[in-house]
Amino acid sequence: MAIEIVVPRLGWSMEEGIFGEWLKQPGEEVVPGDMLFVLEGEKAAQEVESFDGGVLSIPAGAPQPGDTVQVGQLLGYLLAADETPPAELPARPAAAATAEPAVAGPAVRQLARELNVDLGQVCGTGGGGRVSAADVRLAAEENEPAAAALSRDKSRGKAISPRARRVARELEIDWTEIVGTGRTGRIRESDIRAAASQLSAPRGGQRGGGQRADHDRSNRISPLRKTIAQRMSAAAAETAAVTLHTEVDATNLVNLRGQFRAASDAQEGVPGYNDILVKLTALALGRHPDLQSQWREGALWVPGDVHIAIGIDTDQGLLAPVIRDVPARSLRQLAVETRRLAERARAGALTVDEMQGGTFTISNLGNYGVDAFTPIINLPQSAILGVGRIRQLPVVVGEQVLPRFVVSLSLTFDHRVHDGGPAARFLHTLREFIEQPGPWLID
Amino acid sequence: MASTTERQLDKTTATDLYRRMQVIRQCEEQLAKSHQRGLIHGACHTYVGEEAIASAVCAHLNADDVVFSTHRGHGHALAKGMPPRELVAELYGRETGCSQGRGGSMHLFKPEIGMMGTSGIVAPCILQACGGGYSFKILKTDQVAVAFFGDGAVNNGAFHEGLNMASIWNLPVLLVCENNQFATEVPFAYSSGIPDVGRRAANYGIPGHELDGNNVLKIYEVAGQAIERARRGEGATLIECKTYRTRAHAEGMGDFSYRTRDDVAEWKTRCPIQRLRDHLLQEGIVGADDLDAIEAEVRETIAEAHRFGEESAYPSAESVTRHVYCEQPAPPRSPILNQNPLATATDAREISYVEAGHEALSEEMRRNPHIFVMGEGIGKRGGNFNTTMGLYDLYGPERLCDTPICERGFVGLGGGAAMTGSRPVIDFMFADFIMDAVGELVNQIAKIQYMSSGRIKMPILLRGCIGIGHSAATHHSGNYYPLYAHFPGFRVVVPSTPFDAKGLMKRALNCDDPVMFLEHRELLQVKGTVPDEEYEIEFGKAVIAREGTAVTVVALARMIHESLAVAESLAGEGISVEVIDPRTVSPLDTDTVLQSVHKTGRLLIVDETFGPYSLGAEVAARVADDAFDDLDAPIRRLNGAFTPTPYSPTLEQAVVPTREAIREAIQTLVAE
Repeated sequence: MAIEIVVPRLGWSMEEGIFGEWLKQPGEEVVPGDMLFVLEGEKAAQEVESFDGGVLSIPAGAPQPGDTVQVGQLLGYLLAADETPPAELPARPAAAATAEPAVAGPAVRQLARELNVDLGQVCGTGGGGRVSAADVRLAAEENEPAAAALSRDKSRGKAISPRARRVARELEIDWTEIVGTGRTGRIRESDIRAAASQLSAPRGGQRGGGQRADHDRSNRISPLRKTIAQRMSAAAAETAAVTLHTEVDATNLVNLRGQFRAASDAQEGVPGYNDILVKLTALALGRHPDLQSQWREGALWVPGDVHIAIGIDTDQGLLAPVIRDVPARSLRQLAVETRRLAERARAGALTVDEMQGGTFTISNLGNYGVDAFTPIINLPQSAILGVGRIRQLPVVVGEQVLPRFVVSLSLTFDHRVHDGGPAARFLHTLREFIEQPGPWLID
Repeated sequence: MASTTERQLDKTTATDLYRRMQVIRQCEEQLAKSHQRGLIHGACHTYVGEEAIASAVCAHLNADDVVFSTHRGHGHALAKGMPPRELVAELYGRETGCSQGRGGSMHLFKPEIGMMGTSGIVAPCILQACGGGYSFKILKTDQVAVAFFGDGAVNNGAFHEGLNMASIWNLPVLLVCENNQFATEVPFAYSSGIPDVGRRAANYGIPGHELDGNNVLKIYEVAGQAIERARRGEGATLIECKTYRTRAHAEGMGDFSYRTRDDVAEWKTRCPIQRLRDHLLQEGIVGADDLDAIEAEVRETIAEAHRFGEESAYPSAESVTRHVYCEQPAPPRSPILNQNPLATATDAREISYVEAGHEALSEEMRRNPHIFVMGEGIGKRGGNFNTTMGLYDLYGPERLCDTPICERGFVGLGGGAAMTGSRPVIDFMFADFIMDAVGELVNQIAKIQYMSSGRIKMPILLRGCIGIGHSAATHHSGNYYPLYAHFPGFRVVVPSTPFDAKGLMKRALNCDDPVMFLEHRELLQVKGTVPDEEYEIEFGKAVIAREGTAVTVVALARMIHESLAVAESLAGEGISVEVIDPRTVSPLDTDTVLQSVHKTGRLLIVDETFGPYSLGAEVAARVADDAFDDLDAPIRRLNGAFTPTPYSPTLEQAVVPTREAIREAIQTLVAE
């Protein structure tokens, strides 16, 4: 097995360095303890020791002397005597997605301050989720209907203590008409109470337009919600998404599922529609591997394996854990794994690893009575399959109208990566598998 | 290498030493490789070339003997018996690591086998080992404490203070200096006035040795004698082992800016493992097959350790603040009594603040034989402030231990003692004095529970005087509580009445967290009612010293008394002031303050110490956060002047908030 040579971290906080030179030639034998290459870190250039032995292999596209390299980046391989080098340099692993604060320019930030808009609460529509001035204005309008804005104008320049403001709200007093008795003319609690006692009758029903009704809510945005928002915006902004819809005869699928149910006892899990669809989709992707291509740093990278992410609706938000190596799993194993991931997702226990590395995503809204929809691509993937509910419809078969089960499939793909033809051919293969599922599920 | 001892070496001992050294070497090589591959997230200091020392010393130790070590501590942990998988997993940052991912290379803990920790600071282990030795005297056992440290530690005050304390108290400790000739990159030949460490022992009146640190059998022999000597109660020994690390100071660091390739290559030929192997084969003590089998077995162990590390989960982010404090606080020994039932009694017993603390200490010392007090003049003399008056006659010199003037030394020792089963009370007289020991307090005492993932407790009480008054000038008047409250790990207690002083002291002596117990010197003779019955006051429970409705005043220590006097006079003017005493600065009871501000809408914090980053700043920020809508006026603070404490009475008076200033601040706030 080829041993990878990677860029080590020199010193406390190095994240990247400059590749100096190889101290061994390609094809040369390296023994443990040999100095292998020179790397320039934060302080100085250093010779880096090899802890392994083997024949040095430097693939095409490997960093050249003087190139900036990232810690962990692959530089080459040490091979056994009779070993051939791996075909190509795998792409650098993408950095784990991290929730970041809203991106916005100084002018937009200034506007947000003026309009009293919290940038963290604004969903940016610009590239990379960047918040634009228009986003801020929209958010300001949503926050403050006109009446409230007017009332604020009237109150501008008037000082009121937070406590007095709160009491005014509780007593439904319009404090903008009150003269404050505080040291700097500030309206204090006592001023509000004095004004309230002067009013003869309670002033029900005179809420200002800006007051929130009691049943409105303003929930804090959770980190997960922000991550979802960013990923969705990024996908919408960066991809050229096209959705193909098709209706597929699912009668055999329904029959097959019925057989599974009838044959299994209550103890062991019954593979669900989603499990069967995940399996069939993986097989279809095996025939159309390019549909998994990912746009990475100006190149198209085609994953060798099929790892399918499945959308799970949880109390916290949408999560998409990944079922790995779907083709290698039996249908029953798939069912077990799906159930495990779904339980962990709902318990909030998924690890980062369990949510990374998917090569294709399936989102099934059939349980919610949805027929068809336009799913958003789960970056860095380039295609996603939406599955609608299975419903009975009258279908013309030959000369007859027969009741048949039908399911809608919606395939969204990134037109930067794929053309419509290949996407349609994939969908066609999947349709064939679903219409005659039995033969494909024997393994 | 052919002394009598070596020839008589039995096969069991020989293979044991060989195995220990192999485990260290192979584990270090795996770790160096893992560092290069990015599996180790922070620093990694290897022990390659120095394996003989830890192996030879630890071969004599029982599981209940304790080891304190330094940043280059992998070898000590392994030689003391830590399974390699727990070390590897720790460096990989996993929850199965010996410190559950809270330590990494430099903070390795396994108290279950006496591995009491490694430290990123070079010399505190010497003081902690002295503390372990002191504990064993208090506990009356024959355990031994060992400190491993490098040549970088011996020009540091802790070395001097530690050796002196080990000598004057005849402590059962072994101090092992691994002189690898470079403190990071600074040569020992440059940093020391004399070229050897071992002979320095003579200056302290303890035996010292200078050994070839790559000769495992010689170290085994000398360490064995020293440890037996310590067990017999004959005191401490210093052993210097001259050695060399043949890898860089830390993995990923350059190595040839301060030493030459030739030097390193030459030292590699003196490999302690190869030397032992050659000797064993030559003398026919163990056969090559047996040694090869050990190597192969160790190789499998290390490979398994690596797999275990890689497969282990990372700790969950939610657990990040676990173990800052003891998770299972000791139940109170006396009933909890947070409010003084005699507050308004007229014929109840009244004693002074210092008498109340004394009562608490003597009650607890009578009950718990593991409590000992250390400080300057706290023995026969009974303490500069009578804090221990009469206790020496009851409990003798070991439990009432006078110290040299070496605050860093005895505070560090106290930390080590608390880690090993006794309960030290460090009486430092004036809080200013322990500024010399802040490293021991902040880096060690406050962090040990966390770094050891809660497996080591830190039941230490540190007490002394704070406060401005009577022209004590600036080295006898500091307040310092905001400093300690800033750091996670401390309990910071600042009582203002005799009732509080006794109840909080009782709690502190029953608490497994380190407690800074700061007593205002101007309050020591203040009298107040104290119940006859024993009681404890919980930490983090403020007391409402006076109820009121117009304004809330939060104050502490002497400022409570000043604020109460002002409140009394303002009542006559129709201003109703509520006065709150948090009593403990950490934990800080903000709930009581928030409830009060909800009622009054106004908040003033009166605090004798400086304003920036102080108690007032903290209370103000929390109230602004949580009670913004309750505020009818800006929050105000009244603090001591931002200056060292001056001597002259006219200047001193200008430093501390006066009653007039408090009065004016309240009146202004009410008018806001």
